[in-house]
Amino acid sequence: MTAIPQKLDLKNIGIKPGKPVLFYFGLVIRYLVLFAIGLILFTPFILAFLGTFKTDAEIIAYPPSFLPQNWLWENWVKTWETDIGRGGTFPRWLFNTAFLSVTVAVLQVIFCSTAAYAFARMKFPGKNFVFNFMLASMMIPGAVTLIPSYVLMSKLGLINSFFSLIIPGAVSAGGIFMLTQFFKSLPKELEEAAFMDGASHLQIYKDVMLPLARPALLTIFILQFQGMWNSFLAPLLYLNSADKMVLNVALSIFQQTYKAQWNLTLVGAIFNAIPVLILFFLFSKYYITGVAYTGVKG
Amino acid sequence: MKKIVEPAQTQRTIAAFLSFLLVFILLMVIAVMNAPTMGGHSVMASSQTYLAEVKRTALPFLGVIAIGALAIGFVVSRMFYQVWPNKKNRVTMLMAYGFLAPYLIITLIFTIGVILFAFYISFTDYDIFTSPVWVGLANYQKAFQGFVDPTQRDFVQSLYNVAWYSLIVIPVQTSLAILLAVLVNAPIRMKQFFRTVFYAPSVTSSVVITLIFMWFYLKTGYVNYLFSNVLGIFNIPWENVLWLGDPRGLIQLIVTAFGGNIPSAQWFFRGPSIAWMAIMFQNIFTTAPTFMIIFLAAMQDINPTLYEAAAIDGASKRQQFWKITLPMLRPIILMVVVLGTIGTLQVFDQVYLATSGGPLGTSLTPVYLTFREALGQQGPIRMGYGAALAFILAIIIFSVTYLQRRFIERGTEHY
Repeated sequence: MTAIPQKLDLKNIGIKPGKPVLFYFGLVIRYLVLFAIGLILFTPFILAFLGTFKTDAEIIAYPPSFLPQNWLWENWVKTWETDIGRGGTFPRWLFNTAFLSVTVAVLQVIFCSTAAYAFARMKFPGKNFVFNFMLASMMIPGAVTLIPSYVLMSKLGLINSFFSLIIPGAVSAGGIFMLTQFFKSLPKELEEAAFMDGASHLQIYKDVMLPLARPALLTIFILQFQGMWNSFLAPLLYLNSADKMVLNVALSIFQQTYKAQWNLTLVGAIFNAIPVLILFFLFSKYYITGVAYTGVKG
Repeated sequence: MKKIVEPAQTQRTIAAFLSFLLVFILLMVIAVMNAPTMGGHSVMASSQTYLAEVKRTALPFLGVIAIGALAIGFVVSRMFYQVWPNKKNRVTMLMAYGFLAPYLIITLIFTIGVILFAFYISFTDYDIFTSPVWVGLANYQKAFQGFVDPTQRDFVQSLYNVAWYSLIVIPVQTSLAILLAVLVNAPIRMKQFFRTVFYAPSVTSSVVITLIFMWFYLKTGYVNYLFSNVLGIFNIPWENVLWLGDPRGLIQLIVTAFGGNIPSAQWFFRGPSIAWMAIMFQNIFTTAPTFMIIFLAAMQDINPTLYEAAAIDGASKRQQFWKITLPMLRPIILMVVVLGTIGTLQVFDQVYLATSGGPLGTSLTPVYLTFREALGQQGPIRMGYGAALAFILAIIIFSVTYLQRRFIERGTEHY
């Protein structure tokens, strides 16, 4: 423990002897703690990933093993080939989830940005009222709309139709709020110049604001994609036929069907986690600004 | 002068009238969509059969809505009347409402409309297949019957459960989040790296995390293994626990350890069950990193000269944290606590997947009950009752977050 700090000590001439050793010791401890926390936070995924390769017996054996005895790749194939009949297959669920997530995220980008532009840059009567109405609507707990939305969807014949998630998901108060704040932070000079040239609000929105707002739009896209991908209660209520289910709902059925076959359920869980994790590592900057901005994920 | 005013005058009157009609009709269409009638195939066969049904059962509901729609329509038409003569303002207003239209229409249908419907049916007996029957406050009374009749205690017990849940989860996750943020915010290399790594587990869905933890919590799972190994070092024997199926409460365990006993009739003294605490732990695990991100962003906004000044005055790092960081974070702490309250009082996913409300109802939650009543998973479909439960929960959420706001904001005057 003493060798490393002393080596570093030589580089820091001018600092009182004795103090740097403690200082570097503290630094090493700090890094160790950080790595340990990171490891703990990832433990569930590591163990679950290793679990996907274990046999039916090994997965529930006690004491539990760390590495699988034999790497059973068949579990992944078996899960991928799951077929519960009536069109309910694993690739189908994956497609449903991806399709819904992309559609909802694209619509959110379009509709939230138009509304946010109106709030941030246009002067019209009733603006404050509508904006406050929006803020108030964010306070409404989702539990209250659960039953009546289900009734409305069933009246409209949208149960087991993707529209039941796409239409209400096409726009969100949180997304509008975040983009409004972002648009307000942009400098006004560019659009004022465009106004001088006789551009309309529609042109300014399209040609000036949208290109400037690309990072914020990407943030909205990613957060909404993740929100839809991870949502559970709404798809559980609205999409219950085998061929319309999303991965999350299918997973809950998996667990009930396979019971003790945790290896297969875990494959499904890891499958579900991978796309979001990849997206996160690619765009972590946007994720983090988005969450920090609004305090809401998805 | 008069020549110009005259046609403009008629134009703006027409505009005002048309805007009134548009708003009124739009609101009434939304109301009809959300009218409290029975659903089912025979009624929903065509728009005629549906409208006939609306006429039969929902006229009082529509009447009340119509009064509101008239008032809103009047306000809007007055707005149009005033803005109309000025061309620039008129164009801007029309375009702005055009931009807002998707949001406004979707919210009016899927938030406001459905809430009005839910409010109405919370006073009725309603299962989508028959007409709602007015029962007054019976549903609300029934919700609290658990106080007198222990066999009907589901809702009261669910409130008791989420109360424990938020009392334990919110302080723990908030302080852990601040701790993590302080660790990452220190002057270290790879700050971005740690931030990303810490947050990554939180981006996956609660379903994935719950399934993985259900496997950990098995009697033969890693959690029992960990306990038996760690306690084994100190030679303490460990008997494997069925984590998600153990109804023993925290207080009950303590009392039993001292030789006491809490009978099941006094379930409300037992405290949160082992199963419920297992779910709490899992929830903290995923939400603490999320809130860490929020705190981290806020900490980076704190003016560094504050710390420099404090350092010159000889304040230690610890003092700087308590005297500068924490007070400056106060508004963010409020936000995180409020968000945490809204989230924890509405737990659902974990309960649905891991415990279905059991064992002995110790993991029932109001949202899970609402879901169960709406789909009739236990007994008949009781949507009116479910809606009443949701409203009671909403009132509780509003009052608690309001009190938190008052309580936390009161302290900020010092700074």
